[in-house]
Amino acid sequence: MEVNITAKGDSKVVKLVGRLDTVASPEVTKALEPIIEDATGTIILDCSEMTYISSSGLRIFLTLRKASLAKGGKVIVRSINNDIRTVFMMTGFLNLFTIED
Amino acid sequence: MKLEGVDKKALLKPALAGAALVIVAVLTLEGTAILQYAFSHKGLKEEASLRAESQLEATRNQILDVIDQAETAVRNNIWLASWCLEVPDSLHRVAERLVEDNPVIVGSTVALVPGYSRKLPLYAPYALREGDGVVLKSLAGEDYDYPSQEWFTKPVETGQGYWSEPYIDEGGGEILMTTYSVPIRDKKGNIAAVLTADLSLDWLTELVGNVKVYPNAFSIMLSRTGQFMVCPAETLVMHRTINEFVGGLEGDKRDIDSLAKAMMSGKEGNMPIRYKGATSYIYFSPVERTGWSMSIVIPDTEIYGGVRRIGLWVKILQILGILLIILIIYSVFKNSLKYRAMNASREKMESELQIASAIQMAMIPKIFPPFPERKDLDMAAAIVPAKEVGGDLYDFYIRDEKLIFCIGDVSGKGVPASLVMAVTRSLFRSFSAHDFGPAHIVQTMNESMSADNANNMFVTFFCGVLDLKNGHLRYCNAGHNAPFMLTDKISELPVQSNIPLGVLPGFEFSEQEVDMAHDDAIFLYTDGLNEAENINHELFGTDRVKAVLRTRRGSMEHLNAVNEAVREFVGEAPQSDDLTMLFIHYTSTDEQSPEKRSLVLDNVIAEISKLAPFVDSIADEKGLDPSLAMSLNLALEEAATNVIMYAYPEGTNGPVCLDAVVGKDTLEFILSDKGIPFDPTAKPDADITLGVEERGIGGLGIFMVKNIMDSVSYERSEDGKNILTMIKKI
Repeated sequence: MEVNITAKGDSKVVKLVGRLDTVASPEVTKALEPIIEDATGTIILDCSEMTYISSSGLRIFLTLRKASLAKGGKVIVRSINNDIRTVFMMTGFLNLFTIED
Repeated sequence: MKLEGVDKKALLKPALAGAALVIVAVLTLEGTAILQYAFSHKGLKEEASLRAESQLEATRNQILDVIDQAETAVRNNIWLASWCLEVPDSLHRVAERLVEDNPVIVGSTVALVPGYSRKLPLYAPYALREGDGVVLKSLAGEDYDYPSQEWFTKPVETGQGYWSEPYIDEGGGEILMTTYSVPIRDKKGNIAAVLTADLSLDWLTELVGNVKVYPNAFSIMLSRTGQFMVCPAETLVMHRTINEFVGGLEGDKRDIDSLAKAMMSGKEGNMPIRYKGATSYIYFSPVERTGWSMSIVIPDTEIYGGVRRIGLWVKILQILGILLIILIIYSVFKNSLKYRAMNASREKMESELQIASAIQMAMIPKIFPPFPERKDLDMAAAIVPAKEVGGDLYDFYIRDEKLIFCIGDVSGKGVPASLVMAVTRSLFRSFSAHDFGPAHIVQTMNESMSADNANNMFVTFFCGVLDLKNGHLRYCNAGHNAPFMLTDKISELPVQSNIPLGVLPGFEFSEQEVDMAHDDAIFLYTDGLNEAENINHELFGTDRVKAVLRTRRGSMEHLNAVNEAVREFVGEAPQSDDLTMLFIHYTSTDEQSPEKRSLVLDNVIAEISKLAPFVDSIADEKGLDPSLAMSLNLALEEAATNVIMYAYPEGTNGPVCLDAVVGKDTLEFILSDKGIPFDPTAKPDADITLGVEERGIGGLGIFMVKNIMDSVSYERSEDGKNILTMIKKI
């Protein structure tokens, strides 16, 4: 699992590449720690190359979303594939995030 | 009496009928009484008339007899008197002779017309009976002017015989008298003297006074002038005329007045008289020649008193009779109400029993075929309660490709049995919900049922779990009769009888197993079938059951055939016990045996990575959609993560086994571990409707497993394994 973080002014783009499964979750959590700690501005989660997400991955998303909400920031989930969209739908995450294509 | 469920309107009709009956009875009784009264009234009146008139006639004849005697005696002496006129001195002899010869005559005189004899200008010798003899007196005295007396003047004037008014003879003992006088003519035909005969009327008073037509009837005799000659009120006798009497009366005396007139004018007849509220019937008749009138007075109370007294009794009896009728009608009416109320409550009870029966029946599956979409299973069942509600039960359902079924027979019949049946059925449902072990299910049920079995009700029970994927049947028998197994032959399934449910807590039930092949069937029944009796008390028996089963048909046809056979056998005899049958026909459609693969993981998170290749290989083989493959991967990852994280406490180690059974239409994943008992399905589902802030971090994993798989079930196996079975239809 690759995590690439780029900052563009006020917004941060987190690009997730590969499978965000239970095994990958700990390292992703670690990679996103700075962003969770300073969850201001707009955080864009670029999922265009993320192929899989499990509940542990969803937990990371939710943690980020909660942190952002506390700081008055914003989380945008961008370009999820249909399978992941199904998972989002199943778990009610579609309502918790701003989803962009 | 409380009358529930009786329509008020419905009561109106019998009440009206009762009232009508009373009215008819009253009218009939009253009508009969009136008719009877009228007839007897008429008869009594006629009888009274007859008695009065004949009495009147007889009395009058008796009087006339005496009168005739007197008249005849007098007349017979006329010639003698005439002859004696030549010698007037001898005339006293005529008078004396008359008295001597005639006992009815108390005195007699021959009185010369004044001046007829120069020698005797006034001459009236008077012969009077005194004691046994006759004394002679003279009426020609200074104090008695006989020529001016009525007895003398009337015959002289008329030339006829004359009966005087009755009078009280003051000289001769104050007796009532009357005098008959006749003129005596000389040879020239001139009236020369008057011959008289004095008649005592004592006999008359006695005769008339003794006329008693009725005890309180009385007679009255009036003289020509209306003097009372005979009358019960003695002060009136010879002191008052009837006119004076009537004049002295008060109030409406018209009737008495017209009676007086009728009697005084010598009429004969009868008339009713009303005076001062009392009515009397008067019968009256004249006594010829004398100018007297006799009457008999009968108060109407005398005539009708009897019938009135009877009438009173009749009335009392009538009232009693009517009261009795009312009482009877009331009691009949009340009884009919009671009967209606009883009927109503019985109907209510019956309808409640029917409702209970309907509720009871609604508990068990009874739509057949129950699983029309399944090709591997055909079932039929029937339950025929002996009473409105029964104590038999059967139940079945499919969970995780396993048919869980039971049949049971509660001891006893009717409502108590049906209640136990309902309890048994719900215990079966709840204890089998997470359990595929028949013995364990039965044991748990037994514990629950024998714990507080105050009524000592017990249930014979058979529970089976048929694995539809491979036809493996696990079963446990609790005192029930052995089902029939229909393979290429028919035989009883070997059963260990154990004991019925509810008898002994703590009993260890044993489990048995058998493999059913394609087209095998199992027929379960309660003893209402083999013990069905016909009128000769013969039992239907298992041989007959087998005979019917031998002709193989479909499940429902089988069942109907058995039902028909038993019905025909029993005939008119009443059904003695509940009859229940359950027929399970297994037709495995899986020709090739399912493929089984296994994956064993250590309980570390990193091992999760092995799941994806495992799932993908199955998906490739079955040509599954990549999205489905990803979903399966996700579900298995979540399930396995759960086990790795929770089943083995920190520091302990153990395997996590994943078996995949690849069927034709299903994929079954069995995840097992030897960790601490942990049922992930028991966790409540995550609430996905909550917002960001309220949303908990955990709980999503198992939720997704349940969502993705078609069925998820947990079982703790007897050898201490957590077994999570997940099935996905493909």
